[in-house]
Amino acid sequence: MVEIKNLTKYYGRNPAVRGIDFEIRDNEILGFLGPNGAGKSTTMNIIAGFLPSTGGTVIVNGFDITEQAAQAKKCIGYLPEIPPVYPDMRVEEYLNFVAGIKGVKKADRKQQIESAMERLRITDMRKRLIRNLSKGYKQRVGFAQALLGNPKILILDEPTVGLDPSQVIEVRNLILDLKKDHSIIFSSHILAEVSAVCERVVIINKGEIMAIDTIENLRKSMVSKNQLSLKVEGDKDKVVRLLKDIRGVGDITDINFISTGVYTYKVEIETEDIRKEILSVLVANDCGVMEVSMATLDLEQVFMKLTTQTQKRSSLEELLDESPADADEPDNKEE
Amino acid sequence: MFSLYKKELQSFFFSPFAYVLTALFMFIFSLAFALQIGNLDSNTLKFSFPNIFYNNFFYFIFIIPILTMRSFADERRGGTEVLLISSPLSVFKIVMAKFFAIATVFLFMLAFSLFFPIVTAINGEVMWSSLICAYIGFYFWGLACIALGMLLSSLTEYAIIAAILGEIIMEGLLFLDNFALTSLVAAYPALDSIVKWFSLQHRFYYFAQGMFRLEDLIFFLSAIAVVLAWTTIAIEKRRWSRA
Repeated sequence: MVEIKNLTKYYGRNPAVRGIDFEIRDNEILGFLGPNGAGKSTTMNIIAGFLPSTGGTVIVNGFDITEQAAQAKKCIGYLPEIPPVYPDMRVEEYLNFVAGIKGVKKADRKQQIESAMERLRITDMRKRLIRNLSKGYKQRVGFAQALLGNPKILILDEPTVGLDPSQVIEVRNLILDLKKDHSIIFSSHILAEVSAVCERVVIINKGEIMAIDTIENLRKSMVSKNQLSLKVEGDKDKVVRLLKDIRGVGDITDINFISTGVYTYKVEIETEDIRKEILSVLVANDCGVMEVSMATLDLEQVFMKLTTQTQKRSSLEELLDESPADADEPDNKEE
Repeated sequence: MFSLYKKELQSFFFSPFAYVLTALFMFIFSLAFALQIGNLDSNTLKFSFPNIFYNNFFYFIFIIPILTMRSFADERRGGTEVLLISSPLSVFKIVMAKFFAIATVFLFMLAFSLFFPIVTAINGEVMWSSLICAYIGFYFWGLACIALGMLLSSLTEYAIIAAILGEIIMEGLLFLDNFALTSLVAAYPALDSIVKWFSLQHRFYYFAQGMFRLEDLIFFLSAIAVVLAWTTIAIEKRRWSRA
Protein backbone atom coordinates (compact mmCIF):
# COMPACT_ATOMS: atom_id res chain seq x y z
CA MET A 1 0.00 0.00 0.00
CA VAL A 2 2.74 2.42 0.98
CA GLU A 3 6.40 1.83 0.25
CA ILE A 4 9.05 3.99 1.81
CA LYS A 5 12.50 3.60 0.38
CA ASN A 6 15.69 5.13 1.67
CA LEU A 7 13.84 8.17 2.95
CA THR A 8 16.10 10.97 4.08
CA LYS A 9 15.32 14.41 5.37
CA TYR A 10 17.69 17.14 6.42
CA TYR A 11 16.66 20.33 8.18
CA GLY A 12 19.51 22.53 7.12
CA ARG A 13 22.51 20.44 8.07
CA ASN A 14 20.71 18.42 10.73
CA PRO A 15 19.48 15.04 9.65
CA ALA A 16 15.96 14.37 10.95
CA VAL A 17 15.47 11.10 9.11
CA ARG A 18 18.26 8.99 7.69
CA GLY A 19 17.68 6.31 5.07
CA ILE A 20 14.44 4.82 6.36
CA ASP A 21 12.92 1.79 4.59
CA PHE A 22 9.64 0.17 5.45
CA GLU A 23 6.24 -0.59 4.03
CA ILE A 24 2.66 -0.39 5.16
CA ARG A 25 0.77 -3.46 4.00
CA ASP A 26 -2.87 -3.65 2.99
CA ASN A 27 -5.29 -3.56 5.90
CA GLU A 28 -2.71 -3.52 8.60
CA ILE A 29 -2.11 -1.21 11.51
CA LEU A 30 1.53 -0.31 11.64
CA GLY A 31 2.80 1.20 14.85
CA PHE A 32 5.42 3.88 14.55
CA LEU A 33 7.25 4.14 17.78
CA GLY A 34 9.99 6.36 19.02
CA PRO A 35 10.88 8.91 21.67
CA ASN A 36 10.15 12.58 21.15
CA GLY A 37 12.29 14.06 18.42
CA ALA A 38 13.02 10.70 16.82
CA GLY A 39 11.72 11.77 13.43
CA LYS A 40 8.22 10.30 13.64
CA SER A 41 6.34 13.44 12.71
CA THR A 42 8.83 14.32 10.01
CA THR A 43 8.40 10.91 8.40
CA MET A 44 4.63 11.16 8.59
CA ASN A 45 4.65 14.67 7.16
CA ILE A 46 6.67 13.37 4.23
CA ILE A 47 4.37 10.42 3.62
CA ALA A 48 1.37 12.76 3.73
CA GLY A 49 3.01 15.00 1.15
CA PHE A 50 3.30 18.02 3.42
CA LEU A 51 7.08 18.08 3.49
CA PRO A 52 9.27 17.14 0.56
CA SER A 53 12.03 14.66 1.35
CA THR A 54 15.71 15.34 0.81
CA GLY A 55 16.19 11.91 -0.68
CA GLY A 56 14.41 8.60 -1.21
CA THR A 57 10.93 7.80 -2.42
CA VAL A 58 7.47 7.32 -1.02
CA ILE A 59 5.04 5.36 -3.18
CA VAL A 60 1.44 5.59 -2.06
CA ASN A 61 -0.94 3.13 -3.67
CA GLY A 62 1.27 3.11 -6.75
CA PHE A 63 1.65 6.90 -6.97
CA ASP A 64 4.85 8.72 -6.14
CA ILE A 65 4.14 11.40 -3.55
CA THR A 66 6.28 14.00 -5.33
CA GLU A 67 5.72 13.04 -8.95
CA GLN A 68 1.99 12.32 -8.83
CA ALA A 69 1.17 14.34 -5.76
CA ALA A 70 -2.54 14.93 -6.35
CA GLN A 71 -3.40 11.28 -6.99
CA ALA A 72 -1.25 10.10 -4.08
CA LYS A 73 -2.74 12.64 -1.69
CA LYS A 74 -6.25 11.52 -2.58
CA CYS A 75 -5.43 8.11 -1.10
CA ILE A 76 -4.31 9.60 2.21
CA GLY A 77 -6.16 10.79 5.26
CA TYR A 78 -3.82 12.62 7.58
CA LEU A 79 -4.28 13.59 11.18
CA PRO A 80 -1.26 15.68 12.17
CA GLU A 81 -0.03 16.03 15.72
CA ILE A 82 -1.94 19.29 16.18
CA PRO A 83 -5.43 18.82 14.74
CA PRO A 84 -5.64 21.17 11.74
CA VAL A 85 -8.92 22.83 12.61
CA TYR A 86 -10.13 26.39 12.15
CA PRO A 87 -11.33 27.73 15.51
CA ASP A 88 -13.80 30.09 13.85
CA MET A 89 -15.70 27.39 11.99
CA ARG A 90 -18.47 25.13 13.11
CA VAL A 91 -17.80 21.40 13.13
CA GLU A 92 -20.09 20.51 10.24
CA GLU A 93 -19.05 23.53 8.23
CA TYR A 94 -15.41 22.58 8.71
CA LEU A 95 -15.96 18.99 7.62
CA ASN A 96 -17.86 20.23 4.60
CA PHE A 97 -14.93 22.44 3.70
CA VAL A 98 -12.42 19.62 4.06
CA ALA A 99 -14.59 17.32 1.94
CA GLY A 100 -14.58 20.09 -0.67
CA ILE A 101 -10.82 20.54 -0.83
CA LYS A 102 -10.37 16.77 -0.92
CA GLY A 103 -12.54 16.70 -4.01
CA VAL A 104 -15.40 14.64 -2.55
CA LYS A 105 -18.35 14.86 -4.94
CA LYS A 106 -21.23 17.03 -3.73
CA ALA A 107 -23.65 14.12 -3.80
CA ASP A 108 -21.45 12.03 -1.47
CA ARG A 109 -20.44 14.80 0.88
CA LYS A 110 -23.40 14.76 3.20
CA GLN A 111 -23.32 11.01 3.68
CA GLN A 112 -19.56 10.93 4.26
CA ILE A 113 -19.69 13.75 6.78
CA GLU A 114 -22.55 12.11 8.65
CA SER A 115 -20.76 8.79 8.86
CA ALA A 116 -17.48 10.41 9.94
CA MET A 117 -19.27 12.39 12.64
CA GLU A 118 -21.07 9.29 13.80
CA ARG A 119 -17.87 7.28 13.97
CA LEU A 120 -16.17 9.92 16.08
CA ARG A 121 -19.34 10.63 18.09
CA ILE A 122 -19.37 14.32 17.35
CA THR A 123 -22.81 14.42 15.76
CA ASP A 124 -24.11 16.37 18.77
CA MET A 125 -21.36 18.92 18.30
CA ARG A 126 -22.05 19.65 14.64
CA LYS A 127 -23.27 23.20 15.23
CA ARG A 128 -20.62 24.10 17.81
CA LEU A 129 -17.78 26.47 17.06
CA ILE A 130 -14.53 24.53 17.09
CA ARG A 131 -12.91 27.15 19.31
CA ASN A 132 -15.36 26.20 22.08
CA LEU A 133 -14.60 22.48 21.95
CA SER A 134 -12.35 20.71 24.44
CA LYS A 135 -9.00 19.32 23.35
CA GLY A 136 -10.45 15.81 23.09
CA TYR A 137 -13.25 16.94 20.81
CA LYS A 138 -10.91 18.99 18.65
CA GLN A 139 -8.83 15.87 18.26
CA ARG A 140 -11.93 13.96 17.18
CA VAL A 141 -12.88 16.63 14.67
CA GLY A 142 -9.36 16.38 13.29
CA PHE A 143 -9.77 12.61 13.10
CA ALA A 144 -13.14 12.91 11.35
CA GLN A 145 -11.49 15.17 8.80
CA ALA A 146 -8.94 12.46 8.00
CA LEU A 147 -11.72 9.98 7.18
CA LEU A 148 -13.35 12.18 4.54
CA GLY A 149 -12.84 11.16 0.95
CA ASN A 150 -12.58 7.50 2.02
CA PRO A 151 -8.79 7.41 1.82
CA LYS A 152 -7.24 3.95 1.73
CA ILE A 153 -4.39 5.02 3.95
CA LEU A 154 -4.70 6.75 7.27
CA ILE A 155 -1.74 8.50 8.81
CA LEU A 156 -2.36 9.22 12.46
CA ASP A 157 0.23 11.21 14.34
CA GLU A 158 -0.25 10.56 18.04
CA PRO A 159 -4.04 10.40 17.79
CA THR A 160 -4.61 9.77 21.50
CA VAL A 161 -2.57 12.61 22.95
CA GLY A 162 -4.69 14.79 25.19
CA LEU A 163 -7.61 12.39 25.43
CA ASP A 164 -9.01 11.06 28.68
CA PRO A 165 -8.73 7.29 29.34
CA SER A 166 -12.23 6.43 28.12
CA GLN A 167 -11.69 8.45 24.96
CA VAL A 168 -8.38 6.68 24.43
CA ILE A 169 -10.19 3.35 24.47
CA GLU A 170 -12.81 4.70 22.08
CA VAL A 171 -10.13 5.86 19.67
CA ARG A 172 -8.38 2.50 19.91
CA ASN A 173 -11.58 0.69 19.07
CA LEU A 174 -12.19 3.06 16.22
CA ILE A 175 -8.74 2.38 14.81
CA LEU A 176 -9.32 -1.36 15.08
CA ASP A 177 -12.66 -0.91 13.34
CA LEU A 178 -11.12 1.19 10.55
CA LYS A 179 -8.61 -1.55 9.86
CA LYS A 180 -11.23 -3.44 7.85
CA ASP A 181 -10.95 -1.10 4.90
CA HIS A 182 -7.88 1.02 5.58
CA SER A 183 -4.16 0.66 5.99
CA ILE A 184 -3.13 2.62 9.02
CA ILE A 185 0.13 4.00 10.26
CA PHE A 186 -0.08 5.23 13.77
CA SER A 187 2.65 6.92 15.74
CA SER A 188 3.11 7.14 19.45
CA HIS A 189 5.75 7.36 22.08
CA ILE A 190 3.67 5.24 24.42
CA LEU A 191 4.38 1.55 24.02
CA ALA A 192 1.19 0.30 25.63
CA GLU A 193 -0.73 2.39 23.17
CA VAL A 194 0.94 0.81 20.19
CA SER A 195 0.84 -2.72 21.53
CA ALA A 196 -2.91 -2.43 22.06
CA VAL A 197 -3.76 -1.91 18.39
CA CYS A 198 -0.84 -2.66 16.09
CA GLU A 199 0.29 -5.88 14.53
CA ARG A 200 3.69 -4.66 13.51
CA VAL A 201 5.86 -1.93 14.87
CA VAL A 202 8.59 0.18 13.43
CA ILE A 203 10.85 1.52 16.11
CA ILE A 204 12.72 4.64 15.22
CA ASN A 205 15.28 6.65 17.09
CA LYS A 206 17.37 9.61 16.03
CA GLY A 207 16.06 9.33 12.50
CA GLU A 208 17.02 5.69 12.03
CA ILE A 209 15.02 2.51 12.23
CA MET A 210 16.06 0.43 15.22
CA ALA A 211 13.80 -2.53 14.52
CA ILE A 212 10.76 -3.66 12.59
CA ASP A 213 8.95 -6.57 14.14
CA THR A 214 5.58 -8.01 15.11
CA ILE A 215 3.96 -7.05 18.34
CA GLU A 216 3.98 -10.70 19.50
CA ASN A 217 7.73 -10.71 19.43
CA LEU A 218 7.72 -7.49 21.35
CA ARG A 219 5.52 -9.00 24.02
CA LYS A 220 7.55 -12.19 24.16
CA SER A 221 10.76 -10.32 24.54
CA MET A 222 9.38 -8.46 27.47
CA VAL A 223 9.23 -11.54 29.67
CA SER A 224 12.51 -12.26 31.32
CA LYS A 225 12.77 -16.01 31.89
CA ASN A 226 15.32 -16.08 34.61
CA GLN A 227 14.14 -13.43 36.97
CA LEU A 228 11.72 -13.83 39.82
CA SER A 229 9.82 -10.98 41.35
CA LEU A 230 9.05 -11.38 45.07
CA LYS A 231 7.10 -9.40 47.61
CA VAL A 232 7.98 -10.54 51.11
CA GLU A 233 7.08 -9.46 54.60
CA GLY A 234 10.06 -9.69 56.92
CA ASP A 235 13.43 -8.16 57.71
CA LYS A 236 15.17 -7.11 54.52
CA ASP A 237 18.66 -8.31 55.46
CA LYS A 238 17.34 -11.63 56.67
CA VAL A 239 15.45 -12.25 53.46
CA VAL A 240 18.48 -11.39 51.37
CA ARG A 241 20.67 -13.68 53.48
CA LEU A 242 18.20 -16.56 53.20
CA LEU A 243 17.91 -16.16 49.46
CA LYS A 244 21.63 -15.99 48.92
CA ASP A 245 22.08 -19.31 50.73
CA ILE A 246 19.93 -21.13 48.23
CA ARG A 247 21.91 -22.78 45.46
CA GLY A 248 21.11 -21.37 42.03
CA VAL A 249 20.17 -17.90 43.18
CA GLY A 250 22.15 -15.16 41.53
CA ASP A 251 21.98 -11.44 42.03
CA ILE A 252 19.29 -9.85 44.10
CA THR A 253 18.46 -6.42 42.77
CA ASP A 254 15.81 -3.80 42.90
CA ILE A 255 14.95 -4.04 46.58
CA ASN A 256 12.11 -1.62 47.06
CA PHE A 257 10.31 -0.55 50.20
CA ILE A 258 6.55 -1.08 50.01
CA SER A 259 5.31 -0.63 53.58
CA THR A 260 6.73 -1.31 57.05
CA GLY A 261 8.57 -4.60 56.86
CA VAL A 262 7.47 -5.32 53.32
CA TYR A 263 9.88 -5.16 50.39
CA THR A 264 9.95 -6.29 46.80
CA TYR A 265 12.97 -8.08 45.36
CA LYS A 266 14.12 -9.10 41.92
CA VAL A 267 15.95 -12.39 42.13
CA GLU A 268 17.98 -13.94 39.36
CA ILE A 269 17.59 -17.70 39.24
CA GLU A 270 19.35 -20.35 37.21
CA THR A 271 16.31 -22.51 36.58
CA GLU A 272 12.65 -22.17 37.27
CA ASP A 273 12.73 -25.28 39.50
CA ILE A 274 14.24 -23.50 42.45
CA ARG A 275 11.17 -21.35 42.82
CA LYS A 276 9.63 -23.93 45.16
CA GLU A 277 12.73 -24.08 47.26
CA ILE A 278 12.83 -20.34 47.61
CA LEU A 279 9.26 -20.30 48.80
CA SER A 280 9.67 -23.09 51.32
CA VAL A 281 12.85 -21.55 52.75
CA LEU A 282 11.16 -18.20 53.20
CA VAL A 283 8.02 -19.65 54.76
CA ALA A 284 10.04 -21.94 57.08
CA ASN A 285 11.91 -18.88 58.36
CA ASP A 286 8.76 -17.00 59.18
CA CYS A 287 8.84 -14.62 56.23
CA GLY A 288 5.41 -14.04 54.75
CA VAL A 289 5.54 -14.32 50.98
CA MET A 290 2.91 -12.00 49.59
CA GLU A 291 3.55 -12.23 45.87
CA VAL A 292 5.63 -14.29 43.48
CA SER A 293 5.78 -13.78 39.75
CA MET A 294 8.13 -14.08 36.82
CA ALA A 295 9.66 -10.68 36.43
CA THR A 296 8.73 -8.85 33.25
CA LEU A 297 10.62 -5.94 31.96
CA ASP A 298 8.14 -3.17 32.15
CA LEU A 299 7.28 -1.40 28.96
CA GLU A 300 9.30 1.64 29.83
CA GLN A 301 12.39 -0.46 30.35
CA VAL A 302 11.96 -2.16 27.01
CA PHE A 303 11.48 1.17 25.42
CA MET A 304 14.52 2.63 27.09
CA LYS A 305 16.48 -0.33 25.95
CA LEU A 306 15.27 -0.06 22.41
CA THR A 307 15.84 3.60 22.07
CA THR A 308 19.21 3.80 23.75
CA GLN A 309 20.64 1.35 21.24
CA THR A 310 22.95 2.88 18.76
CA GLN A 311 23.18 -0.03 16.38
CA LYS A 312 20.63 -1.17 13.90
CA ARG A 313 19.03 -4.58 14.58
CA SER A 314 16.89 -6.79 12.44
CA SER A 315 14.47 -7.95 15.13
CA LEU A 316 13.36 -7.10 18.60
CA GLU A 317 14.67 -10.31 20.04
CA GLU A 318 18.13 -9.51 18.89
CA LEU A 319 17.81 -6.09 20.44
CA LEU A 320 16.62 -7.32 23.79
CA ASP A 321 19.11 -10.17 24.08
CA GLU A 322 21.88 -7.69 24.57
CA SER A 323 24.37 -8.15 27.37
CA PRO A 324 22.72 -8.01 30.81
CA ALA A 325 25.01 -5.22 31.91
CA ASP A 326 23.37 -3.00 29.35
CA ALA A 327 19.95 -4.18 30.27
CA ASP A 328 20.27 -3.41 33.93
CA GLU A 329 21.39 0.10 33.40
CA PRO A 330 17.98 1.74 33.70
CA ASP A 331 17.32 -0.28 36.87
CA ASN A 332 20.47 0.88 38.54
CA LYS A 333 19.65 4.45 37.83
CA GLU A 334 16.31 4.06 39.53
CA GLU A 335 17.91 2.87 42.72
CA MET B 1 -10.61 25.20 -5.13
CA PHE B 2 -14.10 26.66 -4.86
CA SER B 3 -14.44 25.18 -1.35
CA LEU B 4 -11.35 27.03 -0.23
CA TYR B 5 -12.58 30.23 -1.87
CA LYS B 6 -15.90 29.85 -0.08
CA LYS B 7 -14.25 29.15 3.25
CA GLU B 8 -12.03 32.21 2.87
CA LEU B 9 -15.02 34.40 2.07
CA GLN B 10 -16.84 33.03 5.08
CA SER B 11 -13.91 33.83 7.31
CA PHE B 12 -14.27 37.47 6.22
CA PHE B 13 -18.04 37.78 6.19
CA PHE B 14 -18.99 35.56 9.14
CA SER B 15 -16.73 37.67 11.32
CA PRO B 16 -16.79 41.45 11.78
CA PHE B 17 -13.61 41.66 9.73
CA ALA B 18 -15.03 42.57 6.32
CA TYR B 19 -17.59 44.93 7.79
CA VAL B 20 -15.18 46.84 10.00
CA LEU B 21 -12.78 47.30 7.10
CA THR B 22 -15.61 48.39 4.82
CA ALA B 23 -16.72 50.86 7.45
CA LEU B 24 -13.19 52.23 7.67
CA PHE B 25 -13.05 52.54 3.90
CA MET B 26 -16.42 54.32 3.83
CA PHE B 27 -15.32 56.60 6.64
CA ILE B 28 -12.19 57.71 4.80
CA PHE B 29 -14.20 58.15 1.65
CA SER B 30 -16.93 60.15 3.36
CA LEU B 31 -14.44 62.55 4.96
CA ALA B 32 -12.84 63.19 1.59
CA PHE B 33 -16.28 63.57 0.06
CA ALA B 34 -17.23 66.18 2.67
CA LEU B 35 -13.99 68.06 1.99
CA GLN B 36 -14.71 68.07 -1.74
CA ILE B 37 -18.16 69.50 -1.18
CA GLY B 38 -16.77 72.09 1.22
CA ASN B 39 -14.34 73.15 -1.46
CA LEU B 40 -16.91 73.45 -4.25
CA ASP B 41 -16.16 76.15 -6.72
CA SER B 42 -19.21 78.42 -6.52
CA ASN B 43 -19.15 79.08 -10.26
CA THR B 44 -18.99 75.60 -11.72
CA LEU B 45 -20.19 73.46 -8.78
CA LYS B 46 -17.93 70.66 -10.03
CA PHE B 47 -15.83 68.14 -8.17
CA SER B 48 -14.19 64.89 -9.10
CA PHE B 49 -14.70 61.46 -7.54
CA PRO B 50 -11.54 60.10 -9.11
CA ASN B 51 -9.74 62.87 -7.27
CA ILE B 52 -11.01 61.44 -3.99
CA PHE B 53 -9.27 58.18 -4.80
CA TYR B 54 -6.22 59.93 -6.12
CA ASN B 55 -5.80 62.26 -3.16
CA ASN B 56 -6.47 59.63 -0.52
CA PHE B 57 -4.13 56.91 -1.66
CA PHE B 58 -2.21 57.45 1.51
CA TYR B 59 -5.20 56.30 3.57
CA PHE B 60 -6.56 53.62 1.29
CA ILE B 61 -3.16 52.05 1.01
CA PHE B 62 -3.23 51.16 4.71
CA ILE B 63 -6.35 49.06 4.40
CA ILE B 64 -4.95 46.48 1.99
CA PRO B 65 -2.29 44.92 4.27
CA ILE B 66 -4.92 44.50 6.98
CA LEU B 67 -7.05 42.66 4.48
CA THR B 68 -4.26 40.31 3.45
CA MET B 69 -2.27 39.89 6.66
CA ARG B 70 -4.03 36.73 7.81
CA SER B 71 -4.13 34.87 4.51
CA PHE B 72 -1.12 32.61 5.03
CA ALA B 73 0.31 33.69 8.38
CA ASP B 74 -2.75 32.44 10.25
CA GLU B 75 -2.74 29.11 8.44
CA ARG B 76 0.81 28.56 9.54
CA ARG B 77 0.17 29.63 13.06
CA GLY B 78 -2.93 27.51 13.52
CA GLY B 79 -1.34 24.40 12.00
CA THR B 80 -3.95 24.31 9.25
CA GLU B 81 -1.34 24.81 6.56
CA VAL B 82 -0.72 21.06 6.87
CA LEU B 83 -4.33 20.39 5.94
CA LEU B 84 -4.20 22.56 2.84
CA ILE B 85 -0.86 21.34 1.57
CA SER B 86 -1.55 17.67 2.23
CA SER B 87 -4.86 18.00 0.39
CA PRO B 88 -4.94 17.25 -3.34
CA LEU B 89 -4.98 21.00 -4.09
CA SER B 90 -1.79 22.36 -5.57
CA VAL B 91 -0.11 25.32 -3.88
CA PHE B 92 -0.93 27.50 -6.88
CA LYS B 93 -4.62 26.72 -6.55
CA ILE B 94 -4.50 27.52 -2.84
CA VAL B 95 -2.91 30.88 -3.62
CA MET B 96 -5.46 31.62 -6.33
CA ALA B 97 -8.43 30.68 -4.14
CA LYS B 98 -7.23 32.99 -1.41
CA PHE B 99 -6.48 35.77 -3.87
CA PHE B 100 -9.95 35.62 -5.40
CA ALA B 101 -11.55 35.61 -1.96
CA ILE B 102 -9.72 38.77 -0.91
CA ALA B 103 -10.42 40.32 -4.31
CA THR B 104 -14.11 39.67 -3.68
CA VAL B 105 -13.98 41.38 -0.28
CA PHE B 106 -12.24 44.34 -1.88
CA LEU B 107 -14.92 44.48 -4.54
CA PHE B 108 -17.53 44.49 -1.78
CA MET B 109 -15.79 47.47 -0.15
CA LEU B 110 -15.62 49.35 -3.41
CA ALA B 111 -19.24 48.61 -4.21
CA PHE B 112 -20.26 50.22 -0.93
CA SER B 113 -18.43 53.41 -1.82
CA LEU B 114 -20.70 53.76 -4.86
CA PHE B 115 -23.17 55.09 -2.32
CA PHE B 116 -21.62 58.56 -2.65
CA PRO B 117 -21.85 58.93 -6.44
CA ILE B 118 -25.38 57.53 -6.33
CA VAL B 119 -26.46 60.11 -3.77
CA THR B 120 -24.78 62.77 -5.89
CA ALA B 121 -26.54 61.51 -9.03
CA ILE B 122 -29.90 61.85 -7.31
CA ASN B 123 -29.26 65.48 -6.52
CA GLY B 124 -27.07 66.38 -9.48
CA GLU B 125 -25.18 64.95 -12.35
CA VAL B 126 -22.42 62.33 -12.40
CA MET B 127 -20.11 61.50 -15.32
CA TRP B 128 -20.53 57.75 -15.04
CA SER B 129 -18.15 56.75 -17.83
CA SER B 130 -15.18 58.47 -16.28
CA LEU B 131 -16.22 57.35 -12.80
CA ILE B 132 -16.40 53.70 -13.81
CA CYS B 133 -13.02 53.99 -15.45
CA ALA B 134 -11.60 55.33 -12.21
CA TYR B 135 -13.20 52.51 -10.26
CA ILE B 136 -11.70 49.91 -12.60
CA GLY B 137 -8.31 51.53 -12.22
CA PHE B 138 -8.62 51.65 -8.46
CA TYR B 139 -9.73 48.03 -8.33
CA PHE B 140 -6.72 46.85 -10.32
CA TRP B 141 -4.43 48.96 -8.20
CA GLY B 142 -5.98 47.24 -5.17
CA LEU B 143 -5.52 43.77 -6.66
CA ALA B 144 -1.83 44.42 -7.24
CA CYS B 145 -1.47 45.51 -3.61
CA ILE B 146 -3.46 42.48 -2.44
CA ALA B 147 -1.10 40.15 -4.28
CA LEU B 148 1.81 41.92 -2.62
CA GLY B 149 0.18 41.67 0.79
CA MET B 150 -0.37 37.94 0.32
CA LEU B 151 3.26 37.45 -0.58
CA LEU B 152 4.27 39.14 2.67
CA SER B 153 1.79 37.08 4.64
CA SER B 154 3.31 33.90 3.23
CA LEU B 155 6.71 34.92 4.56
CA THR B 156 5.85 35.11 8.24
CA GLU B 157 3.93 33.28 10.91
CA TYR B 158 2.55 36.39 12.56
CA ALA B 159 -0.32 38.21 10.90
CA ILE B 160 0.59 41.47 12.59
CA ILE B 161 4.14 41.34 11.23
CA ALA B 162 2.72 40.68 7.77
CA ALA B 163 0.55 43.77 8.20
CA ILE B 164 3.43 45.96 9.36
CA LEU B 165 5.69 44.72 6.56
CA GLY B 166 2.82 45.46 4.20
CA GLU B 167 2.49 49.01 5.48
CA ILE B 168 6.22 49.53 5.02
CA ILE B 169 6.13 48.27 1.43
CA MET B 170 3.01 50.31 0.69
CA GLU B 171 4.70 53.37 2.15
CA GLY B 172 7.65 52.62 -0.13
CA LEU B 173 5.35 52.43 -3.13
CA LEU B 174 3.77 55.71 -2.12
CA PHE B 175 7.19 57.25 -1.88
CA LEU B 176 7.92 56.01 -5.38
CA ASP B 177 4.70 57.68 -6.55
CA ASN B 178 5.65 61.01 -5.03
CA PHE B 179 9.27 60.66 -6.04
CA ALA B 180 8.12 60.30 -9.65
CA LEU B 181 6.72 63.83 -9.46
CA THR B 182 9.84 65.52 -8.09
CA SER B 183 11.92 67.86 -10.18
CA LEU B 184 14.97 65.70 -9.49
CA VAL B 185 13.44 62.79 -11.38
CA ALA B 186 12.11 65.10 -14.07
CA ALA B 187 15.68 66.27 -14.70
CA TYR B 188 16.77 62.81 -15.82
CA PRO B 189 14.47 61.50 -18.57
CA ALA B 190 15.70 57.91 -18.29
CA LEU B 191 15.12 57.79 -14.55
CA ASP B 192 11.81 59.55 -15.03
CA SER B 193 10.49 56.92 -17.41
CA ILE B 194 11.62 54.05 -15.18
CA VAL B 195 10.15 55.47 -11.97
CA LYS B 196 6.91 56.43 -13.69
CA TRP B 197 6.71 52.99 -15.24
CA PHE B 198 6.69 51.36 -11.82
CA SER B 199 4.60 53.98 -10.07
CA LEU B 200 1.18 52.51 -9.36
CA GLN B 201 -0.40 55.86 -8.64
CA HIS B 202 0.90 57.20 -11.93
CA ARG B 203 -0.79 54.30 -13.68
CA PHE B 204 -3.95 55.02 -11.79
CA TYR B 205 -3.75 58.66 -12.83
CA TYR B 206 -4.71 57.74 -16.40
CA PHE B 207 -7.70 55.75 -15.21
CA ALA B 208 -8.69 58.70 -13.01
CA GLN B 209 -8.58 60.93 -16.08
CA GLY B 210 -11.07 58.60 -17.70
CA MET B 211 -8.44 57.13 -20.00
CA PHE B 212 -8.56 53.36 -20.29
CA ARG B 213 -5.12 52.45 -21.58
CA LEU B 214 -4.44 48.80 -22.37
CA GLU B 215 -0.85 49.39 -21.34
CA ASP B 216 -1.88 50.18 -17.77
CA LEU B 217 -4.25 47.25 -17.56
CA ILE B 218 -1.52 44.90 -18.75
CA PHE B 219 0.90 46.42 -16.28
CA PHE B 220 -1.45 45.68 -13.39
CA LEU B 221 -2.32 42.20 -14.62
CA SER B 222 1.29 41.21 -15.12
CA ALA B 223 2.28 42.67 -11.76
CA ILE B 224 -0.45 40.58 -10.13
CA ALA B 225 0.65 37.45 -12.01
CA VAL B 226 4.30 37.90 -11.08
CA VAL B 227 3.59 38.50 -7.40
CA LEU B 228 1.17 35.57 -7.13
CA ALA B 229 3.70 33.29 -8.81
CA TRP B 230 6.26 34.59 -6.34
CA THR B 231 3.89 33.77 -3.47
CA THR B 232 3.48 30.22 -4.77
CA ILE B 233 7.23 29.81 -5.01
CA ALA B 234 7.74 31.31 -1.53
CA ILE B 235 5.37 28.76 0.00
CA GLU B 236 6.96 25.88 -1.90
CA LYS B 237 10.39 27.04 -0.90
CA ARG B 238 9.45 27.15 2.74
CA ARG B 239 8.32 23.54 2.59
CA TRP B 240 11.81 22.61 1.44
CA SER B 241 13.78 24.70 3.85
CA ARG B 242 11.63 24.51 6.96
CA ALA B 243 13.72 24.00 10.04
